[in-house]
Amino acid sequence: MNTFLYLTRRVLQAIAVILIVTVATFCLLHALPGGPARGILGPQATAQQIAQFNHEQRLDQPLPVQYFAYLGRLLHGNLGTSYTLNEPVSQLITERLPKTLVLTVLSAAVGLLLAIPLGMWQAVRRNKPVDYIITTLSFVAYSTPVYFLGLMLVLVFSHILPWFPAQAPQGDTLGQVFADPAALVLPVVAGAASVVAVFSRYMRGATLENLSEDYVRTARAGGSRRAAILRRHVFRNSLTPVVAMLGYYVPVLFGGALVVEQLFNYPGMGLLFWTAAQSSDYPVLLGCVLVISVATVIGTLAADVIQRFIDPRVKEDRA
Amino acid sequence: MSAVVQPGQLPGGPGPSAGAGTEGPGLSGLRLAVRRFRRNRLAVIGLAVVVLFFLFCFVGPLLYSTDQTHTALNHANLGPSGAHLLGTDAVGHDELGRLMYGGKVSLVVGLAAGVLATVIGTLWGAAAGYAGGWIDAVMMRVVDAGIAIPALFILLVISAITTPGVGGLILILGLVSWLVPSRLVRAETLTLKNRDYVHTLRAIGGTHTRAIGRHILPNSVSTVVVAATFQVADAILLVAYVSYLGLGLQPPKTDWGGMLSAGLSATYSGRWWLIVPPGLAVILVVCAFNAIGDGLRDAFDVRGRG
Amino acid sequence: MTATDRSTTAAAGSTEPVLRLEDLGVTFSSETGDVPAVQGVSLYVRPGETLALVGESGSGKSTVALASIGLLPENARATGSALLGSTDVVASSERDLAALRGRTVSMVFQEPATALDPLTRIGAQIAEVVRNHRRIAAKEADALAVDLLRRVGIPDPERRARAFPFELSGGQRQRVVIAMAIANDPGLLIADEPTTALDVTVQAEILDLLRRLAVESGTGVLLVTHNMGVVADFADRVAVMLQGRIVETGPVEDVLLRPEHEYTKRLLAAVPRLAVAEAGQGTAAESGPESEAGASAADVPRPRYGTRAKTARPAGDPAEGERVVDLKDVSVVYGRRTNAVRALDGVSLHVRPGETVGLVGESGSGKSTAARVALGLIRPTSGSVTLFGSDLRRTRARARRSLRSGIGVVLQDPVASLDARMTVQECIAEPLRVHRRGMSAKERQDRVAELLERVRLPRAFAQRAPRELSGGQRQRVSLARALALAPRLLVADEPTSALDVSVQEAVLEVITELQEELGFACLFVSHDLAVVQHFAERVVVMRAGRIEEQGGTMATLLHPGTEYTRRLLAAVPVPDPVLQRQRRAARHAAAATAAGTAGPAAGGAGATA
Repeated sequence: MNTFLYLTRRVLQAIAVILIVTVATFCLLHALPGGPARGILGPQATAQQIAQFNHEQRLDQPLPVQYFAYLGRLLHGNLGTSYTLNEPVSQLITERLPKTLVLTVLSAAVGLLLAIPLGMWQAVRRNKPVDYIITTLSFVAYSTPVYFLGLMLVLVFSHILPWFPAQAPQGDTLGQVFADPAALVLPVVAGAASVVAVFSRYMRGATLENLSEDYVRTARAGGSRRAAILRRHVFRNSLTPVVAMLGYYVPVLFGGALVVEQLFNYPGMGLLFWTAAQSSDYPVLLGCVLVISVATVIGTLAADVIQRFIDPRVKEDRA
Repeated sequence: MSAVVQPGQLPGGPGPSAGAGTEGPGLSGLRLAVRRFRRNRLAVIGLAVVVLFFLFCFVGPLLYSTDQTHTALNHANLGPSGAHLLGTDAVGHDELGRLMYGGKVSLVVGLAAGVLATVIGTLWGAAAGYAGGWIDAVMMRVVDAGIAIPALFILLVISAITTPGVGGLILILGLVSWLVPSRLVRAETLTLKNRDYVHTLRAIGGTHTRAIGRHILPNSVSTVVVAATFQVADAILLVAYVSYLGLGLQPPKTDWGGMLSAGLSATYSGRWWLIVPPGLAVILVVCAFNAIGDGLRDAFDVRGRG
Repeated sequence: MTATDRSTTAAAGSTEPVLRLEDLGVTFSSETGDVPAVQGVSLYVRPGETLALVGESGSGKSTVALASIGLLPENARATGSALLGSTDVVASSERDLAALRGRTVSMVFQEPATALDPLTRIGAQIAEVVRNHRRIAAKEADALAVDLLRRVGIPDPERRARAFPFELSGGQRQRVVIAMAIANDPGLLIADEPTTALDVTVQAEILDLLRRLAVESGTGVLLVTHNMGVVADFADRVAVMLQGRIVETGPVEDVLLRPEHEYTKRLLAAVPRLAVAEAGQGTAAESGPESEAGASAADVPRPRYGTRAKTARPAGDPAEGERVVDLKDVSVVYGRRTNAVRALDGVSLHVRPGETVGLVGESGSGKSTAARVALGLIRPTSGSVTLFGSDLRRTRARARRSLRSGIGVVLQDPVASLDARMTVQECIAEPLRVHRRGMSAKERQDRVAELLERVRLPRAFAQRAPRELSGGQRQRVSLARALALAPRLLVADEPTSALDVSVQEAVLEVITELQEELGFACLFVSHDLAVVQHFAERVVVMRAGRIEEQGGTMATLLHPGTEYTRRLLAAVPVPDPVLQRQRRAARHAAAATAAGTAGPAAGGAGATA
């Protein structure tokens, strides 16, 4: 399969996935107590208002017709209006999404920069004390709920040792966020911990697998030294599955951001989502879910394309 | 550590102590697996930890009986002492007793939800993998869509709509976390249905039912068992998030996550006994299940990839 | 050492050996204890000569090769000494070995598909070996890599140097591995089954290349192989290994033509030999020296199962109308439009009751696909399949299933053919459970016991797990399963290609006997022309999804009607060094004529001749 065909197919798949997500959110909207009318008009709406709204919005029409109307609204970027903040949901999300992206990308980057060398180190020192220690630490890091870890970080590095602020940067613009890098440290560390845990394990496994490949023996038979083989061959070959894995990890990163933002009061999309949940602000909730899943699908797609770029081999569709 | 690493849990490849040697003759597959498992120190420790926690939660209350239904405000917020080994919480429940009581819920919900997710995922994945073609494509796009929505977001939306009981919680957690096992089992099914013995069976006129029932399912048992172990670990971790997200059980019922969330307000007041014990309990048990899963994966030689 | 060494050391004693093993032993530590793999092996390789190390699987021949270059796995322990020049590999540190490997000694491996780093361009992989041992600029190393690619016969080397391994065919990949091995003109080249994974025509080219390179640079070669034809084609001396020890050593003519050790004799007797007509017949190359080869058609030693081809009924004998399976104009197309791949293209073939049809071809020829179409595992895109007189497309699912009870199947892989979770009893009884629902457990048990005896396995095997059985035993269990329903047709897809020759002989013998007794027809898929020649009455030669030619086995394989079959036959190495030398010369001559030019580019003109 050539690259163009592969890309087309992959994009079509992504579109199919997003359509399925819209069906899910549409169903959720209709499953809400009081239906979409209450969901959009808010809990204070009277029965008469609801009836009128239902008529105006053609909610008395068959569900498939309504779905396509819903899809049409989405395509125009209309995600409804928040009834607690009285602003279009799309606008709220556009303001906050970049901040969440900054947080997640930083967490992922810091996490990967640590995880990849750690994983390789473990593989090389397999079954030595270092391997056991890092394995145990990654189990612990993986098993600690983010909110607990975040709180412990604040307790130690903000209260007991006053090194970092307990709150994330509060500014509205990205410039303001970056103006206070110290305040970003604890949230990013809290977000990165599981990335290190998961990806060091993953890199360890991939490296071990590659170390037993035939090409390593061929390189040794050619007189290459161990360090050179690791650097030139094993590293790159182990990285490709890790990149693919990163695609599937995107939703987990967003899930982590949800908790981290709430914990550090970081005004991103996670916090928006959190507050919306407390006030049952359904348009915001569903809008966020939709945007997050689109972001996830794009993230997965990007990871696949990058992997394809690193690894030129023609691959079976593994979807 | 966002809850639930959706795709593939803690991956690892051959773990510490995975046997590299050749298989000796006369050793049955299961015996060999047990032997490999036992050589994985972390996995054996994990198994011991899980057994201890089950004893603690289910046998413990018989030896250390406490009242976990009535509040006793005059005994609230006491530090550890002879009468209350781990002190008391904000409404006067004995903290050690509560750890046992909450642990029961965490373990039962985690175990049940993990198993439920594995069952759903196995059926879905096996069906998709065996059917192949467009049915497979559609079923897997549904899985992709499910994976695209982070579990914590779904749980938070649900918490805005309803507050479930224990049964509801199991159902919800099971329904948000079956996606990973379904991918694993599908991949396994794809491999197995192209094994020569399945081809042979089909060629002489054996039915699909027989191919699935006699060959594919029995041979995916080890994959499923490994997936289930990781799934339980993730479910227990998810349970710990549930109260934090506002989906928790109503007092006086609780679980470790509920205790942890309730204790968070005490972080800066020095009442460490309200957060450290439930926090450690969650971490230890989830670690233990992950270590067991890791050991099983090596022992069965299963590739735990999404 | 108990081996009978008849090689005269006097003649060539003048040159120092490049490799000298003295009392080499290798022990593997496993979960179940220590396993000695090699014991007391002593041998030497002189510059410019090829020593073939032969033996069946588990004989320790590959372990000796790996020990000689210090690449044993971590759980292996070596004793004795392995001298490369003056360095003892057994006692050397990894660091010293790295300095040696790729310069003094290098290695070519069996599996070209996995031997190269998939993500690094081939030019860079060769340049890496060069730069491991020479302090030269990257540019210079790249240029050397291109030169090396040219030397190993890769066309358009400047462009190919930038290719990734997956863009090359198996044979070309093996050439790249060879280029890496000769990059620094090593004194010793170790080749571990270098052509086993390749098609026979590619094998001939690779052997030609290795021979040419060895002669050009005076490199000593340690060739590890199980294939006596390859030995005859390539080796100067032979060492035969059995259970970790060398049992016989000597010049290739002596060992292959006048073996002394009992094991060597048995081994050679089990090798299926290709009967050949006047070598080079129909080509421009035959003349004087060929006449000697012509005689071999008659008096080649025959394996015990091979009686069929001689007695072959001429095509179109009795029961002309009746056919157990009949493919008519079958095509199988995968993918659509621009991506479409024609796996089969207008294939028509049939099998009559009781006869054996051999389906031969190289990898990708579609022979297995054709067998799978006959089995109903692959639905043809067009054309019809008739099984026992019923058109499969016009039969209802239920009837189709009962039709299929008349088929028995044996597939290639002994491991994948049996479900590891079942006992032998359950494996063999499976067809009975599918088609004889009424059978009681006791009856089933008796039937399985009877089948086990039929395939000459002890009854007690019924309770064993497949993993406790050897490859040959597993294939016999598969055969027992295939015969459970007393089929009218046995489809065997490369049933013995994963087995050692002695085991292959035993399995084919059992099939032949049972066929005489039970009278089933057999569709036999194989890449091995010699086996098919002895085993089948009719042969169908396939190439790239089409049928190249078909007819009676002896007629077709002795006097092929197409150029392709002729080339295929010419490329098969025969386990007789004298004969093989002539065949090689004839093949080169034919190739030169066909190419129109007799230049050396045609594939290394007979270097040893």
